[in-house]
Amino acid sequence: MSEGMNRRRFLSVLGVTGGGAAALGACGVGSEPAQKLIPYLIQPEDQVPGTATLFATTCRECPAGCGLHAKTREGRVIKLEGNRESPINHGRLCARGQAALEGVYNPDRVTTPLARTAQGTLEPISWDNALQRLGDHVKEARGKGIAFVTGHEAGVFGELVDEWTRGVGGRHVAYEPFAFEALREGNRLAFGIPAVPWYGIAGASYILSFGADFLDTWLSPVEYQRAFSRAHSFDASRGEAEAMAKFVFVGPRMSLTGMNADEWIPAAPGTEGLLALAMAEVIVRERLGASVDVGPVRDLLGRHTPDAVAGAVGIDAEAIARLAREFAKAGRGIALAGGIPAHYPNGAEIVAAVNILNYVVGAVGKTVQFGPNSSVDMASSFKEMVDLVADMQAGKVALLLVQGANPGHSLSSFMQAWSKVGFKVCFATMLDETASAADLVLPDLHPLEQWNDARPRAGVFALQQPVMQRVWPDARQAGDVLLALAGKSDTFKDYLQSHWRAAHARAGHAKSFDDVWNEALQHGGVYTDAGSQSVRLAPTAGHIMAGAPAAPAFDGNTGDPVLVAFPSAALYDGRGADKPWLQELPDPVSKIAWHAWVEVHPETAHKWGVVDGDYVLLTSPFGAVRAPVSVTPGIRPDVVAVPTGQGHTALGRYAKGRSFNAFDLLSGAANGYGGRTFAVRVAVTRTRDHRFLASSAGDPRDVGPGEEIIRVLPLARAQQLKPGDHPFLQREAPEYAEPALEGWAEEQRKKANLGDYAGPHPRWAMAIDLSSCTGCSACVTACYAENNIATVGEDLFVRHRQMSWMRIERYWRGGEGGEPVRGVVTPMLCQHCEQAPCEPVCPVYAAYHTPDGLNAQVYNRCVGTRYCANNCAYKVRYFNWYNFAEVGGEHEAWPAPLDWQLNPDVTVREKGVMEKCTFCVQRIRGAQHKARLENRVVHDGDITPACAQSCPSEAIVFGDLHNETSRVAQLAADPRGYHVLQELNTKSGITYLARVVHGEEA
Amino acid sequence: MTDWSRRAAAGIAFVLLLAIPAAAQTGQPAAAVKAPVVSDTGSLGGPRQPIFFRHDIHAGEYKIPCQYCHFSVAIASEPGIPSVQTCFGCHLMVGGSTPAHEAEIQKVRDAWSNETPPAWVRVHTLPAFVHFPHMRHIKALGANACTTCHGNVREMPQVRQVSTLTMGWCVSCHVQKQVTRDCSVCHY
Repeated sequence: MSEGMNRRRFLSVLGVTGGGAAALGACGVGSEPAQKLIPYLIQPEDQVPGTATLFATTCRECPAGCGLHAKTREGRVIKLEGNRESPINHGRLCARGQAALEGVYNPDRVTTPLARTAQGTLEPISWDNALQRLGDHVKEARGKGIAFVTGHEAGVFGELVDEWTRGVGGRHVAYEPFAFEALREGNRLAFGIPAVPWYGIAGASYILSFGADFLDTWLSPVEYQRAFSRAHSFDASRGEAEAMAKFVFVGPRMSLTGMNADEWIPAAPGTEGLLALAMAEVIVRERLGASVDVGPVRDLLGRHTPDAVAGAVGIDAEAIARLAREFAKAGRGIALAGGIPAHYPNGAEIVAAVNILNYVVGAVGKTVQFGPNSSVDMASSFKEMVDLVADMQAGKVALLLVQGANPGHSLSSFMQAWSKVGFKVCFATMLDETASAADLVLPDLHPLEQWNDARPRAGVFALQQPVMQRVWPDARQAGDVLLALAGKSDTFKDYLQSHWRAAHARAGHAKSFDDVWNEALQHGGVYTDAGSQSVRLAPTAGHIMAGAPAAPAFDGNTGDPVLVAFPSAALYDGRGADKPWLQELPDPVSKIAWHAWVEVHPETAHKWGVVDGDYVLLTSPFGAVRAPVSVTPGIRPDVVAVPTGQGHTALGRYAKGRSFNAFDLLSGAANGYGGRTFAVRVAVTRTRDHRFLASSAGDPRDVGPGEEIIRVLPLARAQQLKPGDHPFLQREAPEYAEPALEGWAEEQRKKANLGDYAGPHPRWAMAIDLSSCTGCSACVTACYAENNIATVGEDLFVRHRQMSWMRIERYWRGGEGGEPVRGVVTPMLCQHCEQAPCEPVCPVYAAYHTPDGLNAQVYNRCVGTRYCANNCAYKVRYFNWYNFAEVGGEHEAWPAPLDWQLNPDVTVREKGVMEKCTFCVQRIRGAQHKARLENRVVHDGDITPACAQSCPSEAIVFGDLHNETSRVAQLAADPRGYHVLQELNTKSGITYLARVVHGEEA
Repeated sequence: MTDWSRRAAAGIAFVLLLAIPAAAQTGQPAAAVKAPVVSDTGSLGGPRQPIFFRHDIHAGEYKIPCQYCHFSVAIASEPGIPSVQTCFGCHLMVGGSTPAHEAEIQKVRDAWSNETPPAWVRVHTLPAFVHFPHMRHIKALGANACTTCHGNVREMPQVRQVSTLTMGWCVSCHVQKQVTRDCSVCHY
């Protein structure tokens, strides 16, 4: 962003672009556009009105550190997409990353410094006053204990905090509720290296996950999802043996990751490590693995034969041996440990056992590489946080500073010790639980407004730059405040640059620093390859699992079910709860939005006499919560599961007062490996209360669970298919309808030669590979962001009035009579039918067919009869029951400044208007404009709708069906291709490619 | 170099650029147009603007090409409203020949020094559900096609709307030129 731009000039953008800017205001169809045109004082060089400018920066919504391209229009960021150059996410982005936009524009941000008054309220004060108070308290607290709590920081800001705390004699705790302690400790036990390696999932031929939810929340979900899709999606061109990796998931609960497995093994909680050791034992005994030195673990393996552990694990020995043989014979296997098992009291041992399995099979050094280690180990362990809480409680902390972390939500003991601290300061963008209890709150900049950097893994130096002028002029970056406090005149940007300058000098780079810096800004960072490091088993590896093969003792009464708390795929540890996109995003597995739930197995639910929506009281030794039941087959009968993320008592209008806080049930003490235990036994008591789950499962819109809707092929059958085969092609209409159809087709041919419809046109179409799609729902949020889709809120969601143009339908299959349960998903969006049922019923021609094959909806023509939605076979049309853009209205979806996120290229719809997926027609028209200006035709790949752009598994392909060389045309001819509800003769424009699974049944 | 003197230098550069006859830059007809003296502004069409900016003097008499100020019309959907810097680039030197002109030019200079851009009253407006790509029309009709929709602004002391800008009016031209009449080309 140009240096010389001040806020006033930024604000003056408001009216400058006429029609485009008009859409930013509170005007939908028929409203008045802006009436004033206010020019810039100086036109920024990098901006062309009506044209997007991209800035490369880094996502800070989780420690993964994905590269971002922030799309700005007239100085405002309107969309976040992945940076294609980033070696982490390769241009893809998850729902949480995209929703960072709602963090920067959140209507409840802290805009000015606040101080606690004698009456106990927080009142605005000036920055001078705030800095004065802070400076005084730092002076006073020297020697009496100063602590600085941040979130995970793997960059220069973390170094500044370290430097500052050292200078004042304090300590720095980088608190993450999910800090992967078990991974570090497990690797130390197995290999003597407390680091988190890089996992080469893309190159694996057999993936074995012991609870690692690498598609939802584990380490780097976007990177691993893309890699998983490359390994696990069916590709006949790779040859028979390599067509598709097998994926086995071990864990008590079927998470999003588990749902994508070919086989789910619900081992008894805490016995996952035993299973891994038994598999390793088979591999060593039968000499199936690599020729490695297993000396340190020979005795350990000898004690853990399949027969010895089968009883504890709950799987018969033969099945364990089969898995071991499959795993070893696949050649390039990879075993991952994480998620729920890594949060048990014996989590580190489970990880170590899985490491031993990786080692004996020869995966270490191939699919598991130490060297390009993840920087998650920069987060402090939970034990360090517990120690800090103990010191706070003992009155040994006189000054506490918090930035980028919210322990007030996730750690109740922290807030109990809070009052014993002399003075509490929070650098905050939102008044979360911690900040709202502070003595001094300093408005921080959102990561999209900040300078900073991040090192997601060794060798990757990602740069973070402000992508727009700050939304609130009175906010200041914490780094700037710290430097000012230390009496430095430098800004944090200077400090950052000085570190990069020093690194540049050390590296002895041929280019000048300015060139390197500018290139890093342009590309989003500097990307190098860290060399890999060879490891061998450490002597400590032989000493794990010293006790008899048994499940660990969980806190609570024996006999009670084990409750596991897992990070929500959308809200994570709760940091996403202030973003309406994430609140309204149905959980990929439970499909519940806007509130939390407790997952209960159908048998258990029957035993307890509870059904979906019944409240139960969950009581652990540490706390109690009331939770609505969600009955799901994807969980062990003796386990219940709750997501973290809800139950905020602060954090703005979207988060506050929703549902329950899962952290309340957990122990605040560190476990044996310095981590936090996310499993505890709970007493379950039925209550008389009930609620309707705000769930999109069972939505009347669902197209249905039928086999002809979501096709699944066993691998063997998929491999027999040859080009030209069409196993799913069926008669489109019964015989008696033939004459009518022929007459109809004749009419269509005549019409196709009239006016605009004559001559060659593209036929825009899409192909969705269900073998790649995981159901992660990144596309859903991308669609909300691109197309100005209103979030409707919980009450309307319960009534199924959400407007999700792109939705993911999830169905359970199997589970009856002992057969395995399997989750299947399908993205459902407007199919852009060639013979669309919605079109002929519109009395005003608002729904009509364009010459280029789109099923268009003209908002300004729509009068809201809703006939089209009634006649749509796919139920993908959404009606605006309220005016969601009305300023101050009851259902206002974009309270200022949230309306700044609106895409000026897309009309904001008004009450009474039907809307639906447009195939991102604004992007199609944009690409056509660009091609015309360059005197060329639109090439295949020029147009990428928002859903396809974001998709981490690269499952969605868009293009012109009439261009035979286009990717979409080739995929549409794939033998696995089929159309949903093709018997209705809609000739839909979306080709689904059948999902392929290992195993017998479809 | 102070900030102010740097801006002044930029202004001089602009003036030098303008010294090349504008007509030679664009190939516009070099017919001598003399903007009239306007004494009765009340009788002029169009809304009254915060500064009495005379398109007839700038684009007519001095033949400054439209795209000198509306810089993005050929490359973007939005034509671009000139920043105050663009105005000041010339009016640093050009002070006006009559007291009335001087008074208006002073407003531009004040806008620059006070960092307060003028709030122009919008003349041409399309509803928010219409997307009008300027660049496609310039590409198809040429750089001097502005008059097709905006009228002969070169002769307008105060800009007024001469076309209805209704959909029927758009479509009549599209029919005449035999180009697309598909709804989703503009409405999305």
